[in-house]
Amino acid sequence: MVTLEFHDPSGTLEVTQPFAPRLDTLEGKRIGIVTNDQWQAYRMMPKLKELLEQDFKNVEVLPVDAYPQGNLLIGTEETAKAVKASGVDAVIVGNAS
Amino acid sequence: MKNAVSGLGLAPDAAMVTFPIDMFLPGSDISTLELRKREFYNGLTKWQSEFEQGTGEAKMLRVEGASYEDALFKANNLLLTSLYGDGLPVWPATRERVEWILQGSALPRTHVLGKFPPRGGVTTIETCAIALAMAGGRPEYLPVLVAAVEASLDPHSNFDQLQATSGAPFPVVIVNGPIAKQIRLNSGFGCLGPDPQQPAGASIGRALRMLQQNVGGAVPGVGTMAIWGAMRYTNVVFAEDEDGLPEGWAPHGTERHGFDRGTNSVSLVFGTGVTNVRRRSARKETPEEDILQGLWRMADYMRTPNLGALMGYEQGTPGIMIVPRVVAQMMAEQGWTKPKLREFLWENSKIPLEHLKRGGALSWFEIDSNPITRESVKQDPWPICLKPDNIVFVVAGGSHPTHAYWLQGTGPRVLGRVIRTPETFDRLLAQADRDLGCGSEECRI
Repeated sequence: MVTLEFHDPSGTLEVTQPFAPRLDTLEGKRIGIVTNDQWQAYRMMPKLKELLEQDFKNVEVLPVDAYPQGNLLIGTEETAKAVKASGVDAVIVGNAS
Repeated sequence: MKNAVSGLGLAPDAAMVTFPIDMFLPGSDISTLELRKREFYNGLTKWQSEFEQGTGEAKMLRVEGASYEDALFKANNLLLTSLYGDGLPVWPATRERVEWILQGSALPRTHVLGKFPPRGGVTTIETCAIALAMAGGRPEYLPVLVAAVEASLDPHSNFDQLQATSGAPFPVVIVNGPIAKQIRLNSGFGCLGPDPQQPAGASIGRALRMLQQNVGGAVPGVGTMAIWGAMRYTNVVFAEDEDGLPEGWAPHGTERHGFDRGTNSVSLVFGTGVTNVRRRSARKETPEEDILQGLWRMADYMRTPNLGALMGYEQGTPGIMIVPRVVAQMMAEQGWTKPKLREFLWENSKIPLEHLKRGGALSWFEIDSNPITRESVKQDPWPICLKPDNIVFVVAGGSHPTHAYWLQGTGPRVLGRVIRTPETFDRLLAQADRDLGCGSEECRI
């Protein structure tokens, strides 16, 4: 038998920060929507806001234009600061394709 | 769906809700959103990552076969089924082969170049050597690959988006300096395609693609939404034909990046398409008519709403125009210089605003994050880039007068890097001569 041993070419992954803890409930929470304004987000995100507000008591979902929009803007420090400053408990980000 | 966030240091999974593409099309039925609303709610309240914290260890893979040929066959199958192959045979990156490739590095094997987006795989010199080994490369190619990777991972490259986008950008690496000839990198006939006498570009470009896919996660339909993926087996790696530059014409690396002439360097542009331009006159035109008519035809090809180039409107490029040395010589004899040529092409590739309006292009301007780009549309006709110098103009290709080549660009910048070679580089070149025969121009067919 011949054995061939070789490197896995995928490199390594470095996980340096955990995801945010999940919320216990959405009731009474403040939710932000960060959108790139692409892929029908202009319809889907307001619909999500409507559904959340229907299904959970006292939930506050910020308007879709509360933060900068667009592919090149949603990943910026400026947007991150705006999200933090808005005091939301969670954000929904979309849409990717 | 994976990969979208791990480049940021997060685990490679995420709380996502995915839908078929139909949902994202104009006029789509979005009622499914309501039917699956619980998935959004769960993502915010119950979802947990399945990935453990910390740094993963690089693994070794192992196969056994009845013979070396059988083991090689199994190794290729394993790489392909692990989504590490490109469909063509690869060299398994054994320890011996990787050690050999690493002789080409001026940096330690553990030197970290960055994280390849969007997956975020940590990319070291060794990671590059593994990819180059798989791609059939040689140690003397490694310095060019490393410089190209450094440019790719530049924070200004927007590489995370370019890797993932549907427009299928591909890296175009233009090499200047004596290293091109030394490592058998083509600048002449067939420089964008296969050439057994000058094979370096194929391996370097293929290795870069391997890194994009294996380390960066750009697997078609998973980590990259590239609809077609053209030019992606080997990307594009070629050298400027510096010997063919007319007197007074500066090399691309000098013009664009300010490197001294003779500096070994790469210039990285992202391409989105390739177009052959038949520029030569057919009958009794004068030399002046031949050049001028050819330039008009080049400008005509450039006068297209390449919306992928908007992100580079200010500092990037709408594309790379390549002309062969014989054409460059004729141009120079008539007083053309690279700056004058760019000026002509810029001025005459402007697009009437009405043409942008009828094609609905203006909405792409409206959503652009760069105010200079947004404001640019007030000009009529609209110039395809901020200034003539944005256009990349290089001399390469076989010494034949008929065609020019236009590679449409995308990406926010054109990024240059100096190529660093190890002190033992001459020995590697001597070994290449022993392995492949004499590589100088005099020895080629």
